[in-house]
Amino acid sequence: MITLNCPSCGASVNFVSKASVFAVCSFCKSTLVRQDMDLSKVGTMSDLQDDLTPLQIGTTGMFGKEKFELAGRLKVAYADGFWNEWFTVFGNEKLGWLAEAQGFYALCFPAQCEVPSKETLRPGAYVELGPAGTFQVEDVHDVRCLFSEGELPLNAKQGRESTSVDLTGDDRKMATIEYATDLTRLFVGEYQDFDEFHFQNLRHIDGW
Amino acid sequence: MVGSGTGGPQLPNESGEPDKPTGKPRVKSFSCTACGASVTLRYPGASMSVVCDSCHSVIDVTDENYTILTKYYAKTGAYKPIIPLGTRGKLKDRTWEVIGYIVRSDVKSSYSWEEFLLFNPYYGYRWLVQDHGHWNFVRTIKEKPDEIAGTSWAQLGEKRYKVFNRGQAEVTYVLGEFYWRVVVGSRVYATDYICPPEMLSYEKDDNEVVWSIAEYVQARVIADAFKITIPMQYAIGVGPNQPAPITQSWQTIKLWWMVFLAVLTCAQIALAGMCLNATAFQSNYPFTPNTKATDLTTQVFTLEKGSANVKIVFEAPVDNSWFYVGGELVNDTDGTSYPFEQTVEFYSGSDSDGYWSEGAKSSSLLISAVPAGKYYLNLDTESGDYKDLTPNSFTLTVQRDVTMYANYFLCLFFVSVMPAFVWMMSRQTEVSRWSNSDFSPYPSIPTVSSSSS
Repeated sequence: MITLNCPSCGASVNFVSKASVFAVCSFCKSTLVRQDMDLSKVGTMSDLQDDLTPLQIGTTGMFGKEKFELAGRLKVAYADGFWNEWFTVFGNEKLGWLAEAQGFYALCFPAQCEVPSKETLRPGAYVELGPAGTFQVEDVHDVRCLFSEGELPLNAKQGRESTSVDLTGDDRKMATIEYATDLTRLFVGEYQDFDEFHFQNLRHIDGW
Repeated sequence: MVGSGTGGPQLPNESGEPDKPTGKPRVKSFSCTACGASVTLRYPGASMSVVCDSCHSVIDVTDENYTILTKYYAKTGAYKPIIPLGTRGKLKDRTWEVIGYIVRSDVKSSYSWEEFLLFNPYYGYRWLVQDHGHWNFVRTIKEKPDEIAGTSWAQLGEKRYKVFNRGQAEVTYVLGEFYWRVVVGSRVYATDYICPPEMLSYEKDDNEVVWSIAEYVQARVIADAFKITIPMQYAIGVGPNQPAPITQSWQTIKLWWMVFLAVLTCAQIALAGMCLNATAFQSNYPFTPNTKATDLTTQVFTLEKGSANVKIVFEAPVDNSWFYVGGELVNDTDGTSYPFEQTVEFYSGSDSDGYWSEGAKSSSLLISAVPAGKYYLNLDTESGDYKDLTPNSFTLTVQRDVTMYANYFLCLFFVSVMPAFVWMMSRQTEVSRWSNSDFSPYPSIPTVSSSSS
């Protein structure tokens, strides 16, 4: 864990993962970019109006036999909705993303594999993703970063745009390809039921 | 709200959904863009559209302008959901709140059903579907079942589901709030596959394919869960995926029945193999038609093997006449007697329907459990013939230890009575279930009474 100070308000900013290059100061909402031990302010994160996720930074869970903790979040919006991508840190510095939407939860990990160009992907199309197997395109969405918090391994400033392609494989396998202006990233993982995650330190939802 | 997610020290929280609700849901109220009435959104941040209670316009809540998606499309109160919106109930160990209500109908037949949208912020969304008194608890799934090409089956994991219904469903009425922009009049192509108590459903529109899995729930379970005090609609017929205990019984009984049949058949084959099937005695005797003859006694013959049956066969050249034998099988040593009577008769002729015949030129009788020993037969014969009066002869054959099938068939019958009954009951249920399907595996006879006996 690295602890630095917010250049704007002086509050301490923790980095659980060495891979994190971006953070939002929990105190003054400054968006901060990290270079080694230097933090510089690049903007301010505006508040999230309505949020009904049961997860929060610090929530821990199990993926199979491995324990992870949520260190940051990216909330993205597309024309017909939104979802959360939680930056998950495992004990051994393994990094992943917990995608959360409408009560579905999937944990995925960065994967290296040649991916087709986004223009060729339409819902229903089949994509070969190396050793991960064959996946079917579920949907293709143009997304915009609505909100971010905590620490993240990418510069997740508000308004960041990308195209996100969701794919499903055999059983509960899933994959996501993110086409951003600067890079294309592939994640492969699996859906798990809420209970299977054995979440701890969940956020309290009023009335529940 | 955001401040709660700072990763600072938190009180330890038990895993999963809390046992007891605390606090009040952070509802959001705004004025309806169409009529100005106050609209309450129960789950801002999760719901994308809401229906105004007053004017029944559908409002988009994702933008600040509260755009109207559908304006005044129907009268409020055209349908009254049996579970009021906002009601919470516990189903499958989880608390669910009814937040939306949709009436959908089949485009072709106008057959309609209602769907209650359930929400739990931890577990997401579920549906309760009420179709003619039958209830289903439905969740959408991410797995893609295989639709087995060229067949009417879909497979998910180990389970196979049979196609039950295909059609186009249209949203005709909405109330409450939804996690998408609900559009009245929107249509999907839908296919339902069944494997009671489950149903697998496929829904496709221009944008996406959604699979869901439904589980049949008894109406009283719903009534208990949501504390419904008014009477529930009486369930009509057999629901597509309603579990039929009789069909499950039949599946079990069928196996046992087949085991019994196999055992009986093996036993019969084994017993048949041990039978002597020997001819102990055979001879011809004269008789004169229309005459009684008495005091015919055969030679003494030997019946082998402990205690076994004896079959006595009479063959007489009867033709539109009869030949009668009254007699006894007598043990030569101790005089034990086994009396019997037997008639051989054969009639034939032609009438407007053509040739007909009745009876046969031979007949036999069986005496069971006859001990081994020396035996003879005493016979009285009598015959009746009105045209051929020439003296003739009949043949007598005594067979020892013949293979018997009567007991076997009797056993088969008794072993099959109960399975046959259960099968009929099950079939009746299944025919009734499939009577609402275009894919019924049963002949398209609308009534059940015609199911074979």
